[in-house]
Amino acid sequence: SSLAGIMLLEVFLVLGTLLIYFLFSKKNDETLPFKDGWWGRGQKPETKEDSSIRPFKVETAEEELSDLFRRLDQARFTEPLENSCFHYGTNSVHLRKVVSYWKNQFNWKKQVEVLNKYPQFKTKIQGIDIHFVHVKPPHLPEGKAAKPLLMVHGWPGSFYEFYKIIPLLTDPASHGLGDEHIFEVICPSIPGYGFSEAPHKKDFNSVSAASVFYELMLRLGFNEFYTQGGDGGWLICTNLAQIAPSHVKGLHLNMVLVSKLGLSHLLSVLLGRYFPGLFGFQDEDVRRMFPFLKKWLYKILSEFGYAHIQTTKPDTVGCGLNDSPVGLAAYILEKFSSWTDMEFQNLEDGGLERKFSLDDLLTNIMIYWVSGCIISSMRFYKENLQKGIGAQKHDKLTVQVPTGIAAFPNEILHIPQAWARKKYTNIVSFHFMPRGGHFAAFEEPELLAKDILQFVDKVEKEQLWKKK
Amino acid sequence: ESIMSRIRSFDYSQKNAVLVPVAALGVGGMLLYWLRSGRKIETIDVGDGWWGAGERPPKGKEDTSIRPFKIETSDKEIEDLHQRLDRFRFTPPVEGAAFHYGFNSSYLRKVVAYWRNQFDWRKQVEVLNKYPHFHTTIEGIDIHFIHVKPSYVPHGQAVRPLLMVHGWPGSFYEFYKIIPLLTEPAKHGLNEGDVVFEVICPSIPGYGFSEAPHQKEFDSIATARIFHKLMNRLGFKEYYLQGGDWGSRITTNMAQMLPQSVKGLHLNVVFITIDSLGKVIGTMLGAYVPWLVGYSREDARRLYPFIQKNIYDVLRETGYLHIQATKPDTAGCGLNDSPVGLAAYIMEKFSTWTDKSFLHKDDGGLESKYSLDELLTNVMIYWVTSSIVSSMRYYKENFSKDTRIHNRVGVYVPTGIAAFPQEIVHIPRVWAKDVYKNIITYTYMPRGGHFAAFEEPKLLAQDIMQFVRKVERL
Repeated sequence: SSLAGIMLLEVFLVLGTLLIYFLFSKKNDETLPFKDGWWGRGQKPETKEDSSIRPFKVETAEEELSDLFRRLDQARFTEPLENSCFHYGTNSVHLRKVVSYWKNQFNWKKQVEVLNKYPQFKTKIQGIDIHFVHVKPPHLPEGKAAKPLLMVHGWPGSFYEFYKIIPLLTDPASHGLGDEHIFEVICPSIPGYGFSEAPHKKDFNSVSAASVFYELMLRLGFNEFYTQGGDGGWLICTNLAQIAPSHVKGLHLNMVLVSKLGLSHLLSVLLGRYFPGLFGFQDEDVRRMFPFLKKWLYKILSEFGYAHIQTTKPDTVGCGLNDSPVGLAAYILEKFSSWTDMEFQNLEDGGLERKFSLDDLLTNIMIYWVSGCIISSMRFYKENLQKGIGAQKHDKLTVQVPTGIAAFPNEILHIPQAWARKKYTNIVSFHFMPRGGHFAAFEEPELLAKDILQFVDKVEKEQLWKKK
Repeated sequence: ESIMSRIRSFDYSQKNAVLVPVAALGVGGMLLYWLRSGRKIETIDVGDGWWGAGERPPKGKEDTSIRPFKIETSDKEIEDLHQRLDRFRFTPPVEGAAFHYGFNSSYLRKVVAYWRNQFDWRKQVEVLNKYPHFHTTIEGIDIHFIHVKPSYVPHGQAVRPLLMVHGWPGSFYEFYKIIPLLTEPAKHGLNEGDVVFEVICPSIPGYGFSEAPHQKEFDSIATARIFHKLMNRLGFKEYYLQGGDWGSRITTNMAQMLPQSVKGLHLNVVFITIDSLGKVIGTMLGAYVPWLVGYSREDARRLYPFIQKNIYDVLRETGYLHIQATKPDTAGCGLNDSPVGLAAYIMEKFSTWTDKSFLHKDDGGLESKYSLDELLTNVMIYWVTSSIVSSMRYYKENFSKDTRIHNRVGVYVPTGIAAFPQEIVHIPRVWAKDVYKNIITYTYMPRGGHFAAFEEPKLLAQDIMQFVRKVERL
């Protein structure tokens, strides 16, 4: 009975704490401070930083290709277990086929030309070279101005993910999307990814990236702009909206996560399936979120091993991947399989070519390979998550900038509007997309472009950015 | 209705005649149910398995021969390795990283230089071959093991068979320094020679020179059964077991499966989960009143601060476990292709799991406890056998199922536990007792970490011997 007494006491303590937290936690509407920094090698020099914007072209050389081919030729594969498909990770039988295509048909020189079709630049900010693509509309009707749109990629993606959606946004009329809103698109590479220099100092997190991109937009002469992102880009764009709400006209996201989970979330998980209306869930929310164990808990356990090891030992896990292009491909392709559709794990080829071409997938991988950036790309996880999920200052702050959310059905985790609203206090549009997964811009550029356009239309028509 | 009227029509004595036995049956049944449920199952089912490629061949007898084996290498193998070392693509660490981001690549460069220019694989192969190696086919796959007998046994001296099982990312090679202390203790000043062993160190299937299973679901229970079959094939009916890491799990399963074959079980790592409310409360109270919960002062010193040591530290160190238990083929792919990547991945564990403070060192403190030759020889075993992916699959196969069976079956064989101070998680005796019902010795070792046999062979050998002495005096 003393044990029962202790148990009862425990239960009261826990409930009491939750109650107090729930009652007394309030929304924090402060802005997030701009994070200045110096990420270059060694000491920050006395001289003023060179702020010129230099044109950049991706280049390749014979040596680079022959080195790659030698490594592909000498790749050591391990036979998969019988009937394992993609359940143990990337299936090496299928990987062999991809490598064969990579050696014999993939044309890197041609792909470099594809990459160079959009103007690219580099500029030094906070001590490191920032790479970005800047595409202006090919033609602007009389009296119309292009709206600047900053689009940020994530991991294991790159600026290349936006290559199909860019023309839909800079030249919507030619693609049947009307000419009401025309954008000039800026796609930077996150420092440590692709052709952006990697930070040499510790502690470069999403707020640092947002601050750097904020400086970039100001340097390009944009005082007001829209921003769009998913995966890492979701977090960086959110931080940017928190740092400079007066400059961000609208924030469009194709992925959302929330880190402050409280009693109401717990209750909605337990009861939301039976009383959806009570918790603000729509039918589609219920369809995407339940059964909870399968769609959340088991999925997190089975899919987030990479995040766990990258948050704790990025230099270890990335080491071999920067040395073995096949290993790098296996690691990255696995995500383009599962995160596009979890059911693809049951296919022998991981469903990779159902939504993407091998040329596109390999071009993205080559960006990681030729720039040698896999380790620095993984360090971003450590810098953001090492203190725990939801432990950073920005996790506790809300976003008041007009926000549009495109919720894709095969996104890794579905966050209902009812939950997103607690952080994004000014959700202007929230749409359940009919198809598509995590790499929205890469996989469903037209769907995403349409959603961005309708969002911007709402913000502009109702002049929502002025209402803040 | 009719039944009720029927019952009412019984007179008193007849009712008793029916009710009393029914009641007795009912109470007896409940008692029996209460006794059996929550009571642990007696043993793990032995079962059977087939791990070879394709279909299991019909009733034909398996080849049970034990074939001597020698590790070999070739110019081609060494040249291929050198070429890969030469073209390693290096990423500089962030300033001040030490080993906090994982294996520090500046130090890795030094390791690679040694590996390329001074490490002599042919010489190490000779070192590996100094003990007799064998292969034998069990359940469709080739099992590799070394079998070392004492070179000289005085008349009347009993030689006890001892099976020692390695873990990940180790190998049979971890036991090379402890083996002579166990087979010829007198020569190494350990005792008068009253406790002498012949040592058998197998490679877990999928590790090193043991063939990897071709079928899914090869877990520690299957391994336990195969190792029992191995010992039987070698002519042993009763033997001692020793293990750490996966070896601890496998040898525990062996004791749970066939306790009559296990004279004693010695462990340097114990796997217990906090799965009962009692343990949770005990943990919370233990910080303030350790004696109330059965913790010794040393237990308290090693367990607390609890969140830091058991949750934060464990989260920091188990990323590898998470990815290997879910996507082993992805995680291992690049490591089987890049020897430097493989070395960084494996040697990171030999740093942090030997001493947590090594995280703060630029060189991970590796050479303060091991020689580069030793560390690289272990890495080479994974490299030349291309076994990294299959070694990682072991995590998925073991964590996919309900693992509670391991803790629900009690271990009744005499058990000895050597608790090393730098082990990743400290398990106090009171927790171990939950599963290990017959703990004969529990020793707080003065120094050493996870790779006990590799790092502190003498301390471990002494603990094994004093455990066996106690068992045999029983």
